[in-house]
Amino acid sequence: MGRLVAILGQRLVQAVTVAFVVSLLCFALAQLLPGDQALQIAQRRYGDDRVTTAAAEAVRAELGLERPLALQLIDWMGRTVSGDLGRSLVSGAPVWEEIRDQLGATLALAGAALGLALLLGPVFGALAGLRPGGLADRAGMAAAAAFRAVPNFVVGLLLMVGCTVLFGWLPVGDSRGWLSLLLPALTLGLGLAATSARIARDGVVAALRSPFFAFARMKGLSRAEAILRHVPRNAAVPLIAYLAVSFAFLIEGVVVVEEIFAWPGIGHALTHAIEGRDVPMIQGTALMLSLLLVLLNALTDLALLLVDPRRRA
Amino acid sequence: MTLTIENLRIAAAGAVLVRDVSLTLEPYRTVTILGETGSGKTLVAEAAMGTVAPELAVSGRIADGGEISDAADQGARRGAWGRRIAMLPQEPWVSLDPTMRSLAQVAEGHRFVRGLGPGPARRQARADLASLNLAAGDDRYPHQLSGGMAQRVAFASARAGGAPITLADEPTKGLDATMRDAVVALLRKAVEEGGSLLCITHDIAVAKALGGEIIVMLKGEIVERGDADTVLVAPSHPYTRRLVAAAPENWPTATATATASVPGDVVLEGTELAVSRNGRRLFSDLDLAVRAGEWIGVTGPSGCGKTTLGNVLLGLMPPASGRVRRRAGVASTRFQKLYQDPVATFSRHVSLRTALAETTARHRVSFDDVMTLLERLRVPVALLDRRPDQVSGGELQRVSLARVLVAKPIFLFADEPTSRLDPITQQETMDVMREVTRERGCGTLLVTHDRTMAERITERRITLGSDLA
Repeated sequence: MGRLVAILGQRLVQAVTVAFVVSLLCFALAQLLPGDQALQIAQRRYGDDRVTTAAAEAVRAELGLERPLALQLIDWMGRTVSGDLGRSLVSGAPVWEEIRDQLGATLALAGAALGLALLLGPVFGALAGLRPGGLADRAGMAAAAAFRAVPNFVVGLLLMVGCTVLFGWLPVGDSRGWLSLLLPALTLGLGLAATSARIARDGVVAALRSPFFAFARMKGLSRAEAILRHVPRNAAVPLIAYLAVSFAFLIEGVVVVEEIFAWPGIGHALTHAIEGRDVPMIQGTALMLSLLLVLLNALTDLALLLVDPRRRA
Repeated sequence: MTLTIENLRIAAAGAVLVRDVSLTLEPYRTVTILGETGSGKTLVAEAAMGTVAPELAVSGRIADGGEISDAADQGARRGAWGRRIAMLPQEPWVSLDPTMRSLAQVAEGHRFVRGLGPGPARRQARADLASLNLAAGDDRYPHQLSGGMAQRVAFASARAGGAPITLADEPTKGLDATMRDAVVALLRKAVEEGGSLLCITHDIAVAKALGGEIIVMLKGEIVERGDADTVLVAPSHPYTRRLVAAAPENWPTATATATASVPGDVVLEGTELAVSRNGRRLFSDLDLAVRAGEWIGVTGPSGCGKTTLGNVLLGLMPPASGRVRRRAGVASTRFQKLYQDPVATFSRHVSLRTALAETTARHRVSFDDVMTLLERLRVPVALLDRRPDQVSGGELQRVSLARVLVAKPIFLFADEPTSRLDPITQQETMDVMREVTRERGCGTLLVTHDRTMAERITERRITLGSDLA
């Protein structure tokens, strides 16, 4: 129980620190982007051909972009602490409202990808690990290496091409409900499944070679009984620890995959906010993605606590 | 149920490892196989379980109860696991599943081997643990158990399947005297309850405490067998005689041999030392002066801070309080440490000659010095071109002693230097260590869990662990 509170406390401190650093970085990077910020925003608002210097100046005055940078930053931070993410410089709508729906779409995508990875990875990993050096092991690990090596935008494009050729249908956007979720989720999940298969395989092999497995057999348990009782938990420990690390990969992948499949999520929004120099939107989306990462890490901490009694001490 | 092994022979390509071993183990009886590393005693146990490495050729007959099998058919032995033969693990701590509670690990024998339902299996397991005074350990995980508790949980889970025959291979390896006695008591209990015990050990004290029949093995063959009272008291084979004489309780005492040498000046002094680990005070107010040429024993239970004391004296870590004074004007390399596991202190990939040459280069001494030392320590020169895993433990420990002596130490901290060696090698190694260190006026602090040995070879002893509840 004390351990639980300690872990959650640590993660809370981490969340606050991450939020602070991320917003600082986003702000700094937005300033470093080439081009005049007010002009870029005006272009977004009024269209490329109708934008004038006067319009840009109006935008600058309206948004207070002529103020010193430090002042703009402090202003933003003060509002963020009170729960106000500000308004989009482009649409004028509150950032939170803009992000809210996109966050849902991203969570659906990330959740589906994680679900697929957890369904495929450990199953194939365990099959490979039960007979080290066997056919399933060699084929499975070769496939895992291939999927891990290929970047997910390539996987995404290949899946798209395949889908178009086979079904004459190009799955972009969320026009077809869960079906259109499948391809981006696969794209995002396959890489994760590949590495978790590898970790699960090694975990199973380690458990099978452990003295406690040998002892379980000596006690008289059949191989199947000993596997069922002593392998899953022990193999799960490294797998969960690995997942904690790989969530960064997942979040990073979300941005790429959403862009490829035009998935209306937060990653997609982030790319557009950057193009439009929409600093509050950049900060808001990046903040949400980082907090999502901290949340996922807190969840894996809890899962590890559940599986591995040694961590509860 | 009687276990019979007839004409067991185990061979590797080109070498016979076990030759013509037969034994019969009846209920209420104990058979102990004594022998050094490489004598083939563990292979006999593995043949009984059918776990001999597949590249070895096994022949002979093994029978337990009505089941008779060809020893070559190792798969046939699997039916005996847990049901007719219970195998005690050598290292109980790592043999228990770290993610499963003690009670469940015991109960699975009752449930899956004896076929009880989940409820009765748990009740039976609880009764088992209670009979070993372990009721409090029911819902603990292995990492929450002490070494002794883990030993008992492993004992209960190995025997839960109801096997009448217990097989124990080196069950007391690396244990201090208290723990060793506790394990022996467990084994005796198994026999008193109508079971039978096949125990494999190189510890004469364990063999004596267990009683029954003793089989002495040397180079794969039985050289002597008989009742414990006869074999251990009046051994007839020369090897058995050496083995029995090598038991620390039969060593000549230090006081008898040490009167000749007068300890020299103080080389190292610790005053009011205190040491803590994880916020727990291990010992405090320890005063200790080591004089040139003298041997001081450090004994105490596992985890009492014996190794830590040495590291503090060597300056490898600071004490929690108190101070250590090493003789002024002496290079820090002349305060040396000899490790418990020599294999871990040599690089596996280079020959011993290379390793020693590096040491002589570091201390700017001639390689001839090492050669002289090696001769003194009776290490054959031919061994130098081998890698550390190609020589025996006793030989390697003597090479590491030579390596340490190259630095001309005035203080040596010897951390259980012989605990992994069999008795004869242990005695030889200790003898030569003592001779050489005395000759060179090196003050030695010997850590050992074997109180009898400490009493025999050291002039003074410190016992740690009295602060621990």
